[in-house]
Amino acid sequence: MFNKLRIGKKGENIIFGTFVLLYISWCVNSPDMNIESLKSVLTIGLSVGIIYGLVALGISLIYTGLDVVNFSHGEFFMIGAFAGLTMFNLLGNQDWIFNIFPDAYGWIIYVVCLFTAFVSMGLFGVFIERVFLRPLTKKGGGYTVAGMGIIICGFGLSVVLINVAYLIWNPVAKPFPAELGLPMEIGGLFLPITYIWMIVVGLSVAAGLWFFLNKTKMGLGIRAVAYSKDVSNLVGINVPLYISIIFGIACAIAGIGGTLVGPTYQVVVFMGYIILMKAFAAAVVGGFGNLPGAIVGGFTVGIFETASSFYISGSHKDLYAFLLMIVVLMIKPTGFFGVQVKMKA
Amino acid sequence: MLKINQLISGYGSVQILNGANMRVEKQSIVALLGGNGTGKSTILRAASGLIRSWKGTIEFDGEQIQNLPAHEIVGRGLVQVTQGKDVFPAMSVTENLKLGGFILKSKQQLSDNLEKVYNYFPRLNERKDQLAATLSGGELQMLCIGRGLMSNPKMIMLDEPSAALAPQIVLDIFKNINRIRQDGLTVLVVEQNVRMALLLADYGYVIKDGVINVEGDSKKLMYDESVKESYLGGTKANV
Repeated sequence: MFNKLRIGKKGENIIFGTFVLLYISWCVNSPDMNIESLKSVLTIGLSVGIIYGLVALGISLIYTGLDVVNFSHGEFFMIGAFAGLTMFNLLGNQDWIFNIFPDAYGWIIYVVCLFTAFVSMGLFGVFIERVFLRPLTKKGGGYTVAGMGIIICGFGLSVVLINVAYLIWNPVAKPFPAELGLPMEIGGLFLPITYIWMIVVGLSVAAGLWFFLNKTKMGLGIRAVAYSKDVSNLVGINVPLYISIIFGIACAIAGIGGTLVGPTYQVVVFMGYIILMKAFAAAVVGGFGNLPGAIVGGFTVGIFETASSFYISGSHKDLYAFLLMIVVLMIKPTGFFGVQVKMKA
Repeated sequence: MLKINQLISGYGSVQILNGANMRVEKQSIVALLGGNGTGKSTILRAASGLIRSWKGTIEFDGEQIQNLPAHEIVGRGLVQVTQGKDVFPAMSVTENLKLGGFILKSKQQLSDNLEKVYNYFPRLNERKDQLAATLSGGELQMLCIGRGLMSNPKMIMLDEPSAALAPQIVLDIFKNINRIRQDGLTVLVVEQNVRMALLLADYGYVIKDGVINVEGDSKKLMYDESVKESYLGGTKANV
């Protein structure tokens, strides 16, 4: 009758477990397998995975709240990275910050960049939702699965946002030289500190979102709107406002993700597309529409991708995420944590 | 309290209401009766702002409220109580009730109202930490009524409170509705269970094809042959 957290049938789990064991034995038999490489694979996998997880979190949040898949979410990720980079370039030459905090200079600037990306993407998301998506809901369909217009609009927005970013920042990949200190040693392995930082910040954002949704009044309202717009209206929730808030939060989280990957990789106009696709795979693997599932799915895709490119073949890196998605869809169509099913009484 | 004048409304391009007129006096219980697809629920949905009113006026407490956003109508004290299945199943009973008091500003008032609802329905207090999905049909209906009471409304509109419930539970719920009226609220009940609704109500309206066809004192309506034969789903109400 109601929402169920579906764990999955026994048979599905056995088949899936067999695949996992086969995969692990394949990796273990690889000549590159040793404890050092395993450590770095896990760290890199987790740090990439949390980024997929953050974007997948936004996609899932919009899906549960608005009942549409936002295909322009990768572009919010990309513009978020540029917003962080712009802030970084503004603050980079300011000597007075350096004079006040000579020790933690790089960190303070980087935290300000993250915050800038979060706030600016949140506002930008609300703007996009109000100006481009809202008028489409009035013509029928609304925020429902039938609202095909919004999905097409997402594709269009993706193209437009890429081209706008192209005009503003040109297509050259830009470095994001945040000074976060020397590599850190963990268990005899030297890792760039940005990897650890990505995992820590990403998990904090996810935990913060969990706290916000479950412990605050606004979060309660968001969960109510996600379940039923009509009933939420009847208890006095301003549903249009809350839909904007949901979209804004999802975009803000994507923006943080963009600024997080900036120092590790590079910031480039076309980075949003592949991230969107992999985050989509992560959301499917974790169970579409399930928020903790999005993070778990992100980690799974991240580790699978890194381990495969390490132990199997590095030349098909972008293939593995989709391979995993196809396998999961074939064996466990609801993903790890299943979809929260809405059924009629 | 609530005055509906020549209301015309519908879904999409399908017109359901063809000029309905109704009055609900303060502190009364009014029953709105009719068969399937006659426009009972459409009147409620228009009054609570879920659908637009095409023509005509809806007056609440002396002010026109037609086509206001739904959450503002709740803020003015007119609350629609949905059918029992429209709860938030993945939330606990307390969370559901707290959502009912979403427009309240002070926490004190929220806990006072929570106390008040538990007083009306002690069963909800016993089950306050359970997920709403685990409640029985009668408890769900109590939860919906309780949620409607959380925002300090002046008037509540119930959408088929007896739907799919055992007679004993219906009686229990109707007793509570009467208690709510005695505490100063105005109640509009939309019902298919004609006999129970007319026993409870002071005044009744029978709707057919989007217009009010018969109205009158509920005692009188109960014995009205034309009501029995024509408008109550084809079957005679056994009174």
